[in-house]
Amino acid sequence: MAIKRGVSLYSYQQEQFFGRMTWKDMFREVKEDLHCDGIEIIDEATIHGYPFLSEQFVFDWHNELARYGLKAVTMDVYLDPMQFRDHVMNHDEAAERLKNDIVIASRLGFSNVRCLCLVPIDVIEKALPTAEKYNVRIGKEIHMPFPINAGHRRTSYDGPGSIPVNVNMCTEIMELADRTGSKHVGLVPDMGIFQDRPSQVRIDYELRHAKNPESIYFIIDNRTKMDPNELYAKYRERYAPDILDPMTLNSLAMTDSCADPEELREVVPYIVSIHGKFYNMTEIEGEPGHYEDKAIDYRRPFEVLKEEGYEGYIDSEFEGQRDQQDRGEEYLVDEVEQVRRHHEMMTRLIGK
Amino acid sequence: MFDQYMVRKDSLENVTEGGRTTGFRMGVRIADYRGCFLPLHNGYYLEVDGVFYPREQQKFAINGKAPRSFAEISKAVWEHWDFDAEGMLYVEKEGGLAPGEHVVRIQQSVLASYGYMPMQEEWVKNPPVPGGGAGSGKTHVVCEYHLMLKEEN
Repeated sequence: MAIKRGVSLYSYQQEQFFGRMTWKDMFREVKEDLHCDGIEIIDEATIHGYPFLSEQFVFDWHNELARYGLKAVTMDVYLDPMQFRDHVMNHDEAAERLKNDIVIASRLGFSNVRCLCLVPIDVIEKALPTAEKYNVRIGKEIHMPFPINAGHRRTSYDGPGSIPVNVNMCTEIMELADRTGSKHVGLVPDMGIFQDRPSQVRIDYELRHAKNPESIYFIIDNRTKMDPNELYAKYRERYAPDILDPMTLNSLAMTDSCADPEELREVVPYIVSIHGKFYNMTEIEGEPGHYEDKAIDYRRPFEVLKEEGYEGYIDSEFEGQRDQQDRGEEYLVDEVEQVRRHHEMMTRLIGK
Repeated sequence: MFDQYMVRKDSLENVTEGGRTTGFRMGVRIADYRGCFLPLHNGYYLEVDGVFYPREQQKFAINGKAPRSFAEISKAVWEHWDFDAEGMLYVEKEGGLAPGEHVVRIQQSVLASYGYMPMQEEWVKNPPVPGGGAGSGKTHVVCEYHLMLKEEN
């Protein structure tokens, strides 16, 4: 047994947007070119008529899985507390959405649902009996800037306007699993937690749109020299009012990953599946046909996962397209090629 | 996201009702990687040839229904805007737009999120006004298009 490869159809969002690939075309690519069998979806991207399922879609879905011998690994589910607009959902309402998503995942044959960092732990606990009943595991995503370990040094601006980060999130999930004895709650690490520098496609996008490009260079040049909060304060002082929001700033200012690969060891028993996040696969200098994402460390986390005996799925999650959609069609990135390169890398790192 | 593709480039046309031209419309997609519950769609910052058209002059047609104001859209809590579906943005303007090319500057507001965020209680009372970046979903810039008005049949 070894680490298994899969693809989140999120990776082909641009192809879907332009109507060039349907989910069935993506299935074929996964099987016939990438030679793997794991499928992950975004519920609100793939399921027509969400949050309701049609009998025809369910039959069609299972038929296509059978056609290509694929496995429905993880369905990514969301929480929009503003849905009702006249109030912010309470936690019971949030749990109702999650329960409905679990039932949908079960009917489509998924083993897991991925829920987001900002979903409160008690919402997950409220939905846990449903997860048990339908035999679907809830995996809480560990997404940048959330750390694995609460003691990890701060790596991004965390003042007003930033995402409220619960640094104890992973511990709380592991405690919930241990306290309830449930195998139906765990974690979905996103490889973006091992990103230690801004991706070039991200930098280029902001350079094209900044009123004062010097302000972008200020962030890039000073990101390793200042604490993130100090950097944001100085940036604001110099360039307001034409400044980036804090979350966009964080995507440019990163200088250190929000987790160390070694920290994966303690969470491996709780991993439901993994997001293979990447932005830009380029050929490794001097190694024709071998690819890497220069912004994200894959090598050391893969070593740790192998040493710890992780045998679950890592599903490609390509995210670089969004930074290349502000110009003509000739600048759009080839998602299919990017995912193929990512699988070259994963296959090589998994090894024999 | 989809900065240059959110508006369908061959879709800008005048709207005529009962022989009178009352405005214009254009086809739009959600500038995200997922659809959204419809009430989360909070309108547009819209400027055409330097003229600003506030949300109160905008309507949105989706899911086979007649154009609705964004106040009405905010109450459609069990409808969903699917990722693949094109909606039609209607804008009131007596007499419509002149023939030829128009410069459209646009920002879409979608109040989708990844869970609880501090500003949400405030947004229930005072939804963000599109254009400032707050509530702009996945595209924080104002996107500019040069569109030819479709000729009337």
